[in-house]
Amino acid sequence: MTTASRRSFLAGLLAAGMAPQASWADTGNPAFLAAGKTADDRFFLAGLDTAGDILFRHPLPARGHAATAHPSRPEAVAFARRPGTFADVIDCRSGAPLARLTPPVGHHFYGHGTFSEDGSRLFTTENAYDTGDGLIGIWDAADSYRRIGHISSGGIGPHDMRLRRDAAGLVVANGGIQTHPDSGRAKLNLPVMQPNLTYIGADGQITDQLELPQELRLNSIRHLAIRNDGTVGFAMQWQGDLGADLPIIGLHRPGQPARLMAEDDPRLRNLNGYGGSVAFSRDGRHVAVTSPRGGVLQIADCDTGALVQEIRLSDVCGLASDDTGFVITSGQGIVAAIDADRVIPRRQHDLAWDNHLIPLS
Amino acid sequence: MPRCLTHLHTLAGALGIALALSSTPLPAQTSPAELPEQMQTSAPDLHPDQQVEWILSGHILPGFDALAGRSADLAEVAKTHCAPTDARLRSAFGSAFDAWVAVSHLRFGPSETANRAFALAFWPDSRNKIPGTLRRALLADGDTTANWANAEEFAKQSIALRGFYALEQLLYDPELMSLATPPQTCALVQAITTDMARTTAAISTDWHASYADELRTPSDRYRTTAEVRQELFKSLTTGLQILGDMRLGRPLGSFDAPRPERAEARRSARSLRHIRLTLAAMEPLAQALAAGDTDLARAVTAAFDKARSRADQLDDPALAGVGDPARRFRLETLQQDVTNIRDLVTSQLGPRLGVTAGFNSLDGD
Repeated sequence: MTTASRRSFLAGLLAAGMAPQASWADTGNPAFLAAGKTADDRFFLAGLDTAGDILFRHPLPARGHAATAHPSRPEAVAFARRPGTFADVIDCRSGAPLARLTPPVGHHFYGHGTFSEDGSRLFTTENAYDTGDGLIGIWDAADSYRRIGHISSGGIGPHDMRLRRDAAGLVVANGGIQTHPDSGRAKLNLPVMQPNLTYIGADGQITDQLELPQELRLNSIRHLAIRNDGTVGFAMQWQGDLGADLPIIGLHRPGQPARLMAEDDPRLRNLNGYGGSVAFSRDGRHVAVTSPRGGVLQIADCDTGALVQEIRLSDVCGLASDDTGFVITSGQGIVAAIDADRVIPRRQHDLAWDNHLIPLS
Repeated sequence: MPRCLTHLHTLAGALGIALALSSTPLPAQTSPAELPEQMQTSAPDLHPDQQVEWILSGHILPGFDALAGRSADLAEVAKTHCAPTDARLRSAFGSAFDAWVAVSHLRFGPSETANRAFALAFWPDSRNKIPGTLRRALLADGDTTANWANAEEFAKQSIALRGFYALEQLLYDPELMSLATPPQTCALVQAITTDMARTTAAISTDWHASYADELRTPSDRYRTTAEVRQELFKSLTTGLQILGDMRLGRPLGSFDAPRPERAEARRSARSLRHIRLTLAAMEPLAQALAAGDTDLARAVTAAFDKARSRADQLDDPALAGVGDPARRFRLETLQQDVTNIRDLVTSQLGPRLGVTAGFNSLDGD
């Protein structure tokens, strides 16, 4: 990366103060974004209100994954599912298309990204697939999403990525799994895979890195949530033998050891070794994980690490929280709230919701 | 306990040797691998409206009643016959274990309350926690042992010390069965069996008291009969997955690295028996779920028949043959038969019940 682009990277992350609450995230505008698939196999990104009604659908050229919202402008970016090569910028009040981003030749997107705090930069997780290097692409959101450059993600297979809340910088889940579009989604390096959680400072340098003990080497760190105090919640996906008892959610603060949730609770195996999405409750006391493979949502107490709730729902994956509690979406089209151990449906749609539910406020 | 047997154990323990009976290869359980007599072995041609009621009254309720009854019998036998090698104890254990395996796919509702099913069946024990936990318990001091007599206290113990799989090792593992003094071993056998009787009674009681009605009359937990059928379907597919991937898949490992030590309940040579029992138990459930579609019901029966006749022909009770190419091949063929049942059920039965392959569960991202 050139000096100029590193300075640009720095500019984005060193903006003073938190961005103002987006003024457009109000009544009548979407509360959530989610990718999905229609009954006749067409892909889209939808804006949802708090009741679970669809306010708009933006058609996508192929399957989507996650999305991210600009901190002040009414814009959001919908990312292609890996190994896709499109990221659509839309007006997230109406769904109107604004731009389509394409990564440089030899890169594909991993499905996640985030804006800098001041909204001047967009960061995207990418695979430079001929070398297998995990990268973070940098785009100038103040200048028509011009590509500025990229930096290392600090590992192989960067997937989810968030802005830190306790310091300037990014935190990246490097899942550790190498893939190449020529072999589809085949996992090429399981014998040597090593996932990590990487913290990147405002200068683009790695400031901290978490690797779990060797016996958890096959537990791919994939999805992230950030609590207001900066605590990172991470969800993992096990690549080893079925039937193993494994932690799937962990909490981490830089400079401290990770805390794994629900260790030794046999219900962990109900997750089938697979965390799909992770989220904190608004009050920060609980952290939840969905597992579409287990058809289950589990909620843990952040302080004690104990599982406090387990709720069954077929093909559940999208997960967010609002003032009422956790909100989930499923591949069977449901948008629902969670109340104690019950699923309280908000809307049932005739479509399949994809992996993630992205809150806009 | 007969005095002479006590002395024999004490002597064996003092000499640090296992009893001769325990060190010889164990014969497979000789009684046929049959479902508890109260459970239906096949479903008649049902009208779809009768489906849920038949599954409750022919499968679920009698299954959990048999489990509770046989576990109570086991606890009763253990009061007077608690030496690991005691034939009556082992017979009662085998009979109760059969009843558990016959309902082990029904993992929803009362079995999941307070982790009851895990407390009955901690398997697979991938980190090998059971032997160490048993060893510590067997060598614990008198105060700890005295505590076991209190069922409430014992229920707070690690699930690695509770249930069928801990008891199986205590009764059949040559080292563990003779590690402690007979009174200490006896106290643990009695504590485990009493705990199992309580847990299984609680499951059966809850099914009768309320959960059966939640299935019969959808309202809150299940909003429609379609959701009830989907829950029952999920228990079938999960049961088939555990059969193929765990009961068969774990010991099979890979061709270059077979894992016979992972076979379920291998110490009591019950591994193949469990495979046969689960096939026998899931077949009527699958038939009942196919109610209203004669062709599908016939295809389901044929697919199960194929797997069951293959399993019946095997003579490998503890699946020790996973490392021998010829014997391994027969187990892999059986595993393929199970895969074929899964494929049939997912591709044809699922869509009939409104269950399609998961958009997210198949995604892996």
